[in-house]
Amino acid sequence: MSVTDLAYPPLSLAARRRRIGGVVVRDLAALRRSPIRVFEIVFWPVIELVVWGYVTLFLQAQKVPFIVSMLLGAVLLWQVLHRAANEVAIGFLEDIWSRNLLNVHVTPVTPAEYLTGLVLFSLTKIAASIVIMAVLAYVLYGFGLLTVGIGLVPFMAVLMVMGWALAVVAISCVLRFGEGAQVIAWSLVFVFQPLAGVFYPVSVLPQALQTIAAFVPATHVFEGMRAVLGGGAIPWDRLTAAACLDVAYVAAALWLYGLTLRHARTKGRLSRFGE
Amino acid sequence: MGILEAVDLAKRFGDVQAVDGISLTVGTGEIAGLLGPNGAGKSTTLHMLLGLVTPDSGTVRMFGLDLARHRTEVLSRVNFSASYLGLPGVLHVREVLDAFARLYGLRRPRRRVAEIVDLLDLGALARRKVIELSSGQHTRVQLAKALLNEPRLLILDEPTAALDPDAGDRIRGLLVRVARETGTALLITSHNMREVERMCDRIHFVSAGRIVARGSAAELASDFGVDDLEEVFLKVAREGTVPA
Ligand SMILES: Nc1ncnc2c1ncn2[C@@H]1O[C@H](COP(=O)(O)OP(=O)(O)OP(=O)(O)O)[C@@H](O)[C@H]1O
Ligand SMILES: [Mg+2]
Repeated sequence: MSVTDLAYPPLSLAARRRRIGGVVVRDLAALRRSPIRVFEIVFWPVIELVVWGYVTLFLQAQKVPFIVSMLLGAVLLWQVLHRAANEVAIGFLEDIWSRNLLNVHVTPVTPAEYLTGLVLFSLTKIAASIVIMAVLAYVLYGFGLLTVGIGLVPFMAVLMVMGWALAVVAISCVLRFGEGAQVIAWSLVFVFQPLAGVFYPVSVLPQALQTIAAFVPATHVFEGMRAVLGGGAIPWDRLTAAACLDVAYVAAALWLYGLTLRHARTKGRLSRFGE
Repeated sequence: MGILEAVDLAKRFGDVQAVDGISLTVGTGEIAGLLGPNGAGKSTTLHMLLGLVTPDSGTVRMFGLDLARHRTEVLSRVNFSASYLGLPGVLHVREVLDAFARLYGLRRPRRRVAEIVDLLDLGALARRKVIELSSGQHTRVQLAKALLNEPRLLILDEPTAALDPDAGDRIRGLLVRVARETGTALLITSHNMREVERMCDRIHFVSAGRIVARGSAAELASDFGVDDLEEVFLKVAREGTVPA
């Protein structure tokens, strides 16, 4: 059997799809075989929802209008960002933990295909988290995500893309600084929590921070969310701004990944993980 | 057309000149060995051939294509296995092979995995988790992975290091058969002199990042005026002597 019968032409679309599928299939199999990873999908959403749910109920008793939907909406959307950032980074770290990084890097999979595979896989876990939280929010607090939901979908998309960009930055840090930098992978997203006005309007921040916050896609999402949950129309100007910022974030993250990958190959770092 | 042509590869890590001007060719169906003491620069050389390490200078061409510019095409037809690699531990052997079949862009991943499982006699291990395997079993799975894409060049860094004599013998037999029957070229490193004598058509002796001698095992022994490869190795490693 000649090579062309066995494999798709390496640069064809079919080959690229097959290789991206390989990344997804592998991570899905790992998820199925590892209950701990399923635990992660359930654990954080449930904890956050329970804590903030009760905070909400308490505040509601103080007669703050819209408080239930605003805080629960914030928790839900924050989980979207958090999961997007973490799941993609986990996919990469698993290759390091299992000393599989070299195996992957000698396949014809391109960096873009590899990252695309990780991102597609993360979608399944994010979707699972959203469903779990939506059900819980309804059962525990009577917060029906679906009744306000459709307007929130574009916001979720913007957050996911931002999360993926952060994940690629985190992966780059680990490539550059070694496994110790895993801490960055888990905490990077929290840098944006105070800035993005997740639980409060950005207007409470000092002016300088407000200026910085304007350059964070998530800021526009959470501000927009409050507008929608407060009964307003979808603020398309905010959504557009967030989408444009997303494009810049993703471009910068990919540039950084390319740079660190080149650096890792120059320094011979790829073979120095997990030892 | 040669399978592999590496010209004047050099690599320095900080103060260490790991590879210092190595040139190497491997032809269709040839089994080439890279031999030398610990730290001589063998693994670094292999990693440059695989695009894992970027050379400071020199070029790598495979199947007539420049590696730096045609990475995806070249790597589609190459594979690699090494004693120091791992595989995703929670996955079943069959799942790992299936994933790699896809990562190599194969048209029928399942069918190919079934063939390879047969070829390497992995049927009994197919449904076991990678993490449960003994190191010899793990080596066999790594080799299975390395044969999935019917590579035209197979690069192996100490492939039989963890195998018992029986398993090692079988794997050597299999690799030689693959090379003879399919024309796959092999480039291997090993510290097992008998293995190298038995398998390799041509041996490249590396010392301190340079190739100091080459030839078949018999040629090398006669050049150095000794009986076998082991003595050649000791002479090169201890005395650094190279015949004129
Ligand atoms: N990524 C790296 N960073 C720094 N130094 C490195 C790196 N890789 C290799 N070296 C150094 O380069 C030299 C050659 O190492 P290499 O692994 O190529 O040797 P080798 O011939 O494969 O040895 P062995 O038989 O022990 O496997 C050594 O001195 C090693 O310390
Ligand atoms: Mg080595």
